[in-house]
Amino acid sequence: MNDTKNQSAWSRWTGRISPTVVFLLPAIALYTLFVVTPTFSSAYLSFTSWDGVSDKIHFIGFDNFTEIWNSDRVHNALKNTMILTFALVVLENIAAIALAVLVDQVRWARNLFRSVFYFPVLISGIVMGFVWTIILNYNFGVINRMLELIGLASWKIDWLGNPDFALISIILSTLWKQAGYYMIIYLAGLQGIPQDLTEAASIDGAGKWQQFRRITFPLLAGSMTVSSVLSMISSLKIFDQIAVMTDGGPGFETETLTYIVYKVGFGELRQGFGTAMAMVLFLLILIITVIQVKVLRRREVQL
Amino acid sequence: MYKGKSAYDVLLFIVTLLIAVMFFFPIFFNLMSAFKSNSEIMRDAIALPTSLYLDSFKYLLTETEFPAAIVNSVVLTGLSIVFMVVVIPMAGYAIERSSAKWTGFVFLYFLAGMMIPFQAYMIPLFKELKMMGMYGNLVGPIVIYVSGSVGFGALLYTSFLKGVPREIEESAAIDGCSRYGIFYRIVFPLLGPCTASMVVLNGLGIWNDFLMPMLVLPSGKPKTMIVEIFYYVGEFSSRWDMIFAGTAMSIVPILIVFLALQKYFVKGIATGAIKG
Repeated sequence: MNDTKNQSAWSRWTGRISPTVVFLLPAIALYTLFVVTPTFSSAYLSFTSWDGVSDKIHFIGFDNFTEIWNSDRVHNALKNTMILTFALVVLENIAAIALAVLVDQVRWARNLFRSVFYFPVLISGIVMGFVWTIILNYNFGVINRMLELIGLASWKIDWLGNPDFALISIILSTLWKQAGYYMIIYLAGLQGIPQDLTEAASIDGAGKWQQFRRITFPLLAGSMTVSSVLSMISSLKIFDQIAVMTDGGPGFETETLTYIVYKVGFGELRQGFGTAMAMVLFLLILIITVIQVKVLRRREVQL
Repeated sequence: MYKGKSAYDVLLFIVTLLIAVMFFFPIFFNLMSAFKSNSEIMRDAIALPTSLYLDSFKYLLTETEFPAAIVNSVVLTGLSIVFMVVVIPMAGYAIERSSAKWTGFVFLYFLAGMMIPFQAYMIPLFKELKMMGMYGNLVGPIVIYVSGSVGFGALLYTSFLKGVPREIEESAAIDGCSRYGIFYRIVFPLLGPCTASMVVLNGLGIWNDFLMPMLVLPSGKPKTMIVEIFYYVGEFSSRWDMIFAGTAMSIVPILIVFLALQKYFVKGIATGAIKG
């Protein structure tokens, strides 16, 4: 009895509110509470010396940002982040276009190849980092073992322990992990290019390379905008691989901005400074994305 | 003419095959090493296992807390996805099918969230979770995952719904079906492929996530598979066989899900890519 009474009260109540509001309310509430609110708190905390534990939060004005501006450690991390990001955006896009063209052109086992190139995307950064740590290990690793087998033992390198090679090792293993993702975007782009364009060029006597260079590549500009913006954002945020493979080392050779946010905020309990770093990172992502989209959009043509 | 064409095809196939072998090698290396003893791995990393060595799996599953971590990973991924499927499709539907101005603003508000990196708000977020009693249990991560997926989810569903004709909904409305009924009985089933894309892409992200569960789940207790693997790399730095067994257990389920549901991964990425 009571049940049906409640039911009708409920439906009378919901009847008065537009279903649109009811459908949107949970998403708005969750997103506002757990994404937007903490982002604004972050902006506030970046002006404090909060340690993450105590109740007292001291407002210190721009001190954190002055420290960021003057810190050698941050400059070094910024340099590493920029090298890493630039190298990854360029290499991932070249590799992805190459893979997409191969998968698109190959006559046999096309779906199998597409899956295999995509497999590394499925693997967590932690697992991938561990596997590559072993592959790159100085004494027992796969790469050095292969060098031994082909008689090049003197070329053996301590890939992750040598300051000259640690960042390169992280770049190449991340390239392996991510290329397949952007390949999917370029494949979608390739499928959008009408066949008659390349056929016409072929009749006019253009070779395969000419067709790619003059027709396919320019028409992939839209995919390239998307793919390079996404790879830029994910490279700026790179974290898991570094945590497993080098922990920012040797020394500070592979420390990036996201890694400092984590180290300073949770290792050294300087969360005010950590949020300030996070804000800088956020602004950096925002600015680079806007510039990148502006520049790349200019290359795009409408079919 | 024909002969030249087929030589080109064979060459292309061989090149693609060689690259595919290089791409697959690290995964193969991981799965293979899980069945080798530690001394076998150290002796020759690229040799195939001589026998099916299962001790590292046995050790992981009986002597460590890895089974509890597996349960956590499964529960966390499963529950987060269930809540996403409850919250996100209806929000996307409300935005796409409404002509009101305010829903347009809500859409932009959601999309803005896709630009905010997790690191930018994680520190105050953890403080907030502590105040609400969601820190140190599975509730916190679930809430974070569902909230964090609103932006991408709204984009995915609105672009999919543009291709779903309104006529079916209109005729159902004429037949006296309520807006709720229209959504749950008619639209939601039609959204199946889109929901599948969201589930596989977000499910993969949650299963593989590291930083957030490591920081939010209580210390001293098993966390998720990926977090435990990270700890093992530090603790058992000389027991590679065991870590390989752990990583193999985290990889195999995703490989199976991927092979079964490939097209939803591909569609999800392509849809997300249209707008970026």
